Amino acid sequence: MDFDFSEDQAAILSGLEQLISSLNIEAPKDAVFSAYSHALDAELTEGGFLDITQQEGFGLLDGALIVEQLARLPVSVEAATSVLIAPSFLEDTTRRPVAILQGALTKAARFLPMAKTLLADIGDDLLRIEIPEGAVEEVETLFAYPYGRLKNPEALPSVSLGAGRLVEFRRRWRIAIAVESAGLMQSALDQVLEHVKTRQQFGRPIGSFQAIQHRLVMAAELGQAVRWLGFKAAWSDDEGDAAIAATFAQDAIPRFCTDLHQFCGAMGLTLEFPLHHWTYRLRALLGELGGSSAQAIAAADAVWGASKNV
Amino acid sequence: MEFGWSPEQTAHRERVQTLLGRELPADWDDIAVHGPGSNAQTAFSKIFCKKLADEGLLISHWPKEYGGNDMTVWDQFIMGEELWAAGEPRGPQYMNVNWIGPVLMRYGNEAQKAEYFPPIASGSVVWCQGFSEPSAGSDLASLRTKADKVEGGYLVNGAKVWTSYAGLATHCFLLARTASAGKGAIVILLLDMTSPGVQVKQIPALIGEGDIHEVFFTDVFVPAENLLGEEGQAWEIITFALQNERIGIPRYAFSRRMLDRAAEKLKADGRFENPVVRDRAGRALALCEAARLMVYRVVHQRATKAPQDAYGNLARWAIIQADHAVNDFMTEFMPEGLLGEDQMQIAHHQRAIAAGIASGAAEIQLNLAARRYLDLPSEPRRGL
Repeated sequence: MDFDFSEDQAAILSGLEQLISSLNIEAPKDAVFSAYSHALDAELTEGGFLDITQQEGFGLLDGALIVEQLARLPVSVEAATSVLIAPSFLEDTTRRPVAILQGALTKAARFLPMAKTLLADIGDDLLRIEIPEGAVEEVETLFAYPYGRLKNPEALPSVSLGAGRLVEFRRRWRIAIAVESAGLMQSALDQVLEHVKTRQQFGRPIGSFQAIQHRLVMAAELGQAVRWLGFKAAWSDDEGDAAIAATFAQDAIPRFCTDLHQFCGAMGLTLEFPLHHWTYRLRALLGELGGSSAQAIAAADAVWGASKNV
Repeated sequence: MEFGWSPEQTAHRERVQTLLGRELPADWDDIAVHGPGSNAQTAFSKIFCKKLADEGLLISHWPKEYGGNDMTVWDQFIMGEELWAAGEPRGPQYMNVNWIGPVLMRYGNEAQKAEYFPPIASGSVVWCQGFSEPSAGSDLASLRTKADKVEGGYLVNGAKVWTSYAGLATHCFLLARTASAGKGAIVILLLDMTSPGVQVKQIPALIGEGDIHEVFFTDVFVPAENLLGEEGQAWEIITFALQNERIGIPRYAFSRRMLDRAAEKLKADGRFENPVVRDRAGRALALCEAARLMVYRVVHQRATKAPQDAYGNLARWAIIQADHAVNDFMTEFMPEGLLGEDQMQIAHHQRAIAAGIASGAAEIQLNLAARRYLDLPSEPRRGL
């Protein structure tokens, strides 16, 4: 049990920090909800960060550390799927970004506008679909990820990976939800802390009011718990751990986002104020894989076994 | 970063589990339902703690110079986790070894160590904590119990309230004040509970038999040699003591055990097929495991001797959420347990409803975390 980074982990994160610093990434100033950083994507690929889990001596937890750090940025980049999910399901991992979807192929999915591959959980099979140019229409959304929808899914050839792969696919997806949520929560909280320490009302910073302090501490606790649960799930790659981490994350997201916007008043509703870059990614993650109830049931089934009387 | 146990830690956990399997009597659950402060559990604690002492496990986390074995922080915690999950057969004596002893090691003089360590180390003594008063709960510094200086010692007058284990305690870690105001006037006295003028009255409560008491002090003489530390040093000592106390109880371990037990019961009678039940159970489970990792993070900090921050306050909040979630789950889906059908569920309920109150109110934890973890500005004191 060690909560500190190993030397290798610290070195990876230091390299990632240098890469991010070199790009001078800032929150988009315009009314852009789905700010995708192609420059960051290219640098991450070039730097080998996205195939970390396939490198000798590194594993899923090391990938999770990278995903969590990237989620803290005010722009989005498809990393969680490429790092934590795709290596098990893609023959050619260079065919990325990778979009993931559960349900009908006509549903909108994150990162589909720039995706080269789609992994689709259609309930009784896991499909791998290569996405050609022009096959996707963009979907306008408040969610701060680029969303798209296949124009004509029936026309696209798919490879059946089999229903037997769904357990692993969903487990990795749950880990990705938790780890990405942890990074998003940290930056959202940092943003709001800065606001409440400087914004004055009644002659003092609003962050000095106990009513606000207590809820911010609760938000901080949620963020920390998601972080450790997500990292532990990545470390163990265990069915129960993954479902528990995703349950906690999705359960926490509504009150976390509501409170953080509340403390920023009307300013938090503007596009100028960058909070939405994180909270509207969190809200997008809230509904993935069926939402918190689906994860909680999965956790109960994983830990306590068959739900039927045995 | 990694989340596994070493082979030695796994072996240590198995050793504790084996000991519990061997030493807990068949009617242990009937004893444990009354709570750590009950007559039954306190009496059993003297048998069980002696066994722990014989096994070299009661104070094994203490330094060798004090009779311990320099057990690692993690091994100490693993033992506490297993014992608390089992219903804490050390009864009130967990307090002796977790914080009374370590506080005496740090602040006690040689005579005090010689007097108080042997009975703690042999598992034959019960201490209580004389902190809260009718007008001094969370605002501990406003306590009023007086310790007037007299020849050879102090004369104590006043009252304590909510005092756990006082009914059977032989000693009290007592806070009192030598002057009317200020933290600097507080002293810590190591009081013999058989001293003339000490009167203990049990308070009937929702949380079980023998858990909370009023303690009255009428002209109780405490010899000067029973002063812990120096006059003016009490607040430093209390802060050190509370750091050990507040995260010392892995409450989530008992909640997780009860949740596992609830799931098995619900499965057995078919109610676990209901997805709503599994949904709620899964959420409670997530809160238990979140609390576990938050506490592990604090233990890691201690184990690596990293500077203490306010993470313990955050972890306390996580523990409270877990206790309440499991209690609420069982109350909603297994109300029959509180209708006399399950004494263990009643015992868990009684512990859970005190989770945010015992060992310092939850709101105080939030205050401390706001200032020390989030670095938020203090709320200005209201003018008088």
